[in-house]
Amino acid sequence: MRPLAITGVGLVSPLGVGYGALCQAIADHGRIGSSAFRSRCTVFDPEKIEAPLAAEAWDFDATEYLGKKGLRNFDRLTRFLLVSAKHALEHAGLKLDGEHRVYGGERVGVCSATAYGSLDSITELVEVAELEDPRFLNPNRFPNTVINTAAGYVSIREDLRAPNVTVVDGNCGALDAVLNAETHLHNDRADAFLVGGGEVLSDPLYLAFRKLGALAEEPERYAPGSAEGYGMRLGEGAAYLCVEHDGRATERGARVLGRVVGYGNAFEPPQSEAALVHASPLALERAIAMALDDAGLGPDDLDLVCASMNGLGPFDRAELEALDRSVGPELPVVLPKALIGETFGAGGALGAMWALAAFEGLPVGPLLRGTIAGRPERALVVAVGFYGNASALVLSR
Amino acid sequence: MQRVFVTGMGVVSSLGLGHEEFWDAIVHGRTGFSPIEGFGTEGLDRSVAGEVRDFHARDFLSHAEARRMGRCSAFSLAAARMAVQEAALAPSHLKGERTSVIVGTTMGEADVIGELEHAWIHRGADAVRTARMPMYGTTLLPIHLARAFGARGMVQTLPAACAAGNYAIAFAADLIREGRADVVITGASELLQQHQFAGFVRLGAVAPERCQPFDKNRKGIIIGEGSAILVLESEAHAVRRNATALAEVGGSGLACDAHHITRPHPDGEGSLRAMREAIARSGVSADDIDFVNAHGTGTQANDKIESQVIGEVFGGRDIPVSSLKSMLGHCMGAASALEAVSCVMTVQTGVFPPTMSYETPDPECDVNLVANRAARGKADIVLNNSLAFGGYDAVVAFARPGVLPEMPRPILQ
Repeated sequence: MRPLAITGVGLVSPLGVGYGALCQAIADHGRIGSSAFRSRCTVFDPEKIEAPLAAEAWDFDATEYLGKKGLRNFDRLTRFLLVSAKHALEHAGLKLDGEHRVYGGERVGVCSATAYGSLDSITELVEVAELEDPRFLNPNRFPNTVINTAAGYVSIREDLRAPNVTVVDGNCGALDAVLNAETHLHNDRADAFLVGGGEVLSDPLYLAFRKLGALAEEPERYAPGSAEGYGMRLGEGAAYLCVEHDGRATERGARVLGRVVGYGNAFEPPQSEAALVHASPLALERAIAMALDDAGLGPDDLDLVCASMNGLGPFDRAELEALDRSVGPELPVVLPKALIGETFGAGGALGAMWALAAFEGLPVGPLLRGTIAGRPERALVVAVGFYGNASALVLSR
Repeated sequence: MQRVFVTGMGVVSSLGLGHEEFWDAIVHGRTGFSPIEGFGTEGLDRSVAGEVRDFHARDFLSHAEARRMGRCSAFSLAAARMAVQEAALAPSHLKGERTSVIVGTTMGEADVIGELEHAWIHRGADAVRTARMPMYGTTLLPIHLARAFGARGMVQTLPAACAAGNYAIAFAADLIREGRADVVITGASELLQQHQFAGFVRLGAVAPERCQPFDKNRKGIIIGEGSAILVLESEAHAVRRNATALAEVGGSGLACDAHHITRPHPDGEGSLRAMREAIARSGVSADDIDFVNAHGTGTQANDKIESQVIGEVFGGRDIPVSSLKSMLGHCMGAASALEAVSCVMTVQTGVFPPTMSYETPDPECDVNLVANRAARGKADIVLNNSLAFGGYDAVVAFARPGVLPEMPRPILQ
């Protein structure tokens, strides 16, 4: 692929709002440990979810960043995306005081991923319809049940009139969004894109994964990438990377935080006809090979892997197997989800922050293996889906 | 740049299964509307929709497939099997990394989530069936298809409100042009679901019995459901296996109004850009377009603005315009995929589908409507408009093979 410059980042995470806050937290990982996971979550209804343990975007208050007006009908995902978008555009210098400063609004687009996006709004709708009366449904909140509405509000609020694309590919969505953006940039449909994704905690999401027996709910027992396979913990957040053609970014003197230089995606079906959920080392291996080929690089050119491992035994093992075969066991592997949990559609974009932090020269962690010597030049960001899908992205300094 | 052809199409709709039945109903002006059977509509004051009847998943799916997927995926796989059969693609052509699946939707497996939520709300967490939960993933729509055909390339779901079909088709064609795939199985699927129906009624968007696009007395949409899947193929791949090209996929225009989550921009700003872009990217001018399949929802706002935009794009030329939604209803995410199938049929037959239930001209909708009866005419290049909620505008051109010039290359920085 033709390299894309990352010129700005905006994010909401359990470790803080904004690129600087998350980078600081990543650098401090040794001291804060797993403190992003707490049991006193405010997003869950205590009558529905007993004793949850999750990484909420603690103390997130959209009005701090967006003001108080016009937020009433926005759900949590929309608020995450709006804050991330505003910060990313300002960080990249594309907007200042609400005005477009570099490209016209018709030349800036959005490629936004989510896996379960509107689940809390759907629940709200169903509860009103079934426990009260369908005639009481709030028409101003009904659009929130549509998956792409949250990203739609980003275009409306920020006046971004180039294509607005929502991508769903489970945990891989945010990385796939990058290919969408690259394709549209290359086809001259825009000059810049916000790419990334968002995911929010909700009662039905927590309940579903608890019922599936997928959650690591004992206090000390959570270790992505370990042999124990205690299970995963849920997190939430959103991240947008502002990407532009590399040449254009350099030309306008933008600060470049990193570059996207390769992308790969693959799917492998399970052997069993009856199976649905499926961990495939082969899919990730192929996605990595494709991403490296796309970047014109080999495994030896990489300095760091930002893993997708979330504590689910079979998936972590599949990922390790693929990494061993594709890039070898020596390469340092960092575990973003050990700090913020599984954030599904946002996972790839938030995971990429560990690579950008490493490019800045910050000490990133926690590391599953290896040590980082010097300032990494190139990183591989991977995502493993639940159904045999996998994606990989190569980032460069 | 590679040309992209449609080589197969499959349809699940209220007008019939398969594009032959579907097209036959369209040219004869039959509507697919009837009182809803799938759920109760008590107290809503609206009870008519374009519901898919007589669809039996097992007619198209194996027992194992039918067990592991919801109705939305079953629609998609049934339509995909029809499309692949028409394209006469052997399993060996589809197996492997060069085949991708890109599917659009608005709500995906709305039935599955509805059932899970219903159990949870009324009977508690213990009553929720664990085995059904993983079936909700919207991610699964393309994955079920990829599994069925042995495709190992990219799988992606693109929810883009009611423009999802065109978004998927446009991106699929771009992937082939970029050389990232040889074959893409693409299109969109949508279900009619109880609470979504109630939601649209509460928005005041639903008409009582009929959908009357561009009519002065139009009263809104009739909600529909269905799926349309198309096989898109690179020219090289189609030629190599001696495939019949049904139509060429021309340029596409994608834009966002960035105006309001349910209302169109008052000047149709995004729609105008999307239409003009689709024409320019096809390497032709507005005068070369023979027919417009309108978004034509039957709402006051859409039809007025869309008429204005069509007038502006074609400089007042009397280009034939029609809206399938008068017969099919608004199938949400699936709408533009179903309409794409109709566009390909128009290109193949020179028949413009009628806009039914048209009675009273509206001076604010000054378009040359194909009213109440199908018409014939030159149909070398047609446009498929999709101007959705959230200001998602997506327009795709379809052309008779051999008509379009080589597509202009995008300007590369």
